[in-house]
Amino acid sequence: MSALSGRVAVVTGADQALGHGLALAIGTSGARVALVGDATTLTPVADTIRDRGGHAAAFDAVLTERADLERAFAAAADTFGDPVTALVHTAMNRAAFEQLDFADVDDARWELIWEGTMRAALALLQASYTPLHGRDGRIVFVAPTVSMSGAERLVPYTTALEGQRLLAKSAARQWGPDGITVNTVAVAPEQVPIGVASAATSLAPPALGGPGQPEADVGPVVTFLLGAAGRFVTGSTLSIDGGVWMAP
Amino acid sequence: MSLEPGPLAGRTAIVTGAGQGVGRGIALALAARGARVVLAARRAETGEPAAQEIRDRGGDAVCVVTDVTRRDDVEQCVRATVERYGGLEIMVHNAFRGGRPHRLEELDEALWTMNSRTAVWGSYYAAQLAYPHLRAAGTQGRLILVTSPSGVEGSVSIPIYSPVKAAQRAIAKSLSREWGPLGITVNCLAPVAETPALTNAFVENPDLKGRLEARTSLRRVGDAEHDIGVVAAFLASDDAGYVTGQTIVCDGGSFMGL
Repeated sequence: MSALSGRVAVVTGADQALGHGLALAIGTSGARVALVGDATTLTPVADTIRDRGGHAAAFDAVLTERADLERAFAAAADTFGDPVTALVHTAMNRAAFEQLDFADVDDARWELIWEGTMRAALALLQASYTPLHGRDGRIVFVAPTVSMSGAERLVPYTTALEGQRLLAKSAARQWGPDGITVNTVAVAPEQVPIGVASAATSLAPPALGGPGQPEADVGPVVTFLLGAAGRFVTGSTLSIDGGVWMAP
Repeated sequence: MSLEPGPLAGRTAIVTGAGQGVGRGIALALAARGARVVLAARRAETGEPAAQEIRDRGGDAVCVVTDVTRRDDVEQCVRATVERYGGLEIMVHNAFRGGRPHRLEELDEALWTMNSRTAVWGSYYAAQLAYPHLRAAGTQGRLILVTSPSGVEGSVSIPIYSPVKAAQRAIAKSLSREWGPLGITVNCLAPVAETPALTNAFVENPDLKGRLEARTSLRRVGDAEHDIGVVAAFLASDDAGYVTGQTIVCDGGSFMGL
């Protein structure tokens, strides 16, 4: 029996490299995967998972719209015959990756990146609550360590990610009694196209030699959090960055 | 009020949310060390008496009614400050509204917006609009954001408070890196103090005071001016010129997770 058999997992951001790798890892560990976002770009990812013998389908939803997400979660449950019991959120508006002097950030950009990221994280949590509660629900947010280390010319992005990371902690505290765990997996900055190297956040090189691969190196940790062995882990930030950001 | 020139003599500070609580305490402490203080308060009913208190002690202070959720208001406050005092060295963003207990799955738009706009948009406006003046102030330039231990450890009762307070810590870290070459420091202060907001929380949650004090090493809740404001004044001074990107937890030894 595979590690995640029985689970239906929603994955966001599978049309970006990080989410793509994690979707493959989860989809080949026995979970049935609902790729939520722009179905047109996600369908080829679902095809790849099925080609590898997994179960996956793509569902359209605007990530900042709770009602839209609830429809997608319901459609996934219909497709797979079981309710969604896990969420892995990796999606990020690509505009957030652009480096820009803080003095040049305007309100439209702040709205898009800060509000957009937080509203998506909130809407995803809220849409997850009903199907996940009482069902050993698992939620994992995935984002690079730069929100903890800070990064120049990336103020909106790091601000949004740190808000999202603490949203996970608060949700972990409030929803623990509902049988839902919520964690953050913090990956190396090289996993997203922000032009920041691990070397910028530590004087030492990555202990394990590099930032790692999303599917091969980060995937097993996300799979662990979604699996039986992860049931007592909540409110944590796991730095899976090859040994750079070692705080605390 | 000391007659000796204080460590902040000749410098000008804006403190948002200065009408009461922590903001008022910070304004009093900065003024007591010689800073000229603009109290940016949403309501003149609280901001004016706080400014008057500083003047009564021999300090230099004025209230400018400011809603930190509005760019135009913050811009006007900065402009008025620079016109009156000739510059701005110290920007302290403390204003916050929206600490009402809630369930995340039922969080409504209004409560989210209040949290987001006051804590995060307010920080963004305060930082960006102060920036030309902080840059001109060089190694005297200071941005201080008032956050909370909840912004590090999460909150079960007011869950949305933690992300907006965490966001401020990220702003401080990233801006400290971006503005460091100019000599400007950017830090957060994470206080627990006797404030109207905490008093309300004690009323709503009667066992909170006992639980809080039991977890606090010093067995008391901080005084906004003499326990918290003085630390903000230290961060604003030359002595803290090599401290940047940090969160100073000022809670009597309660949260120790940093």
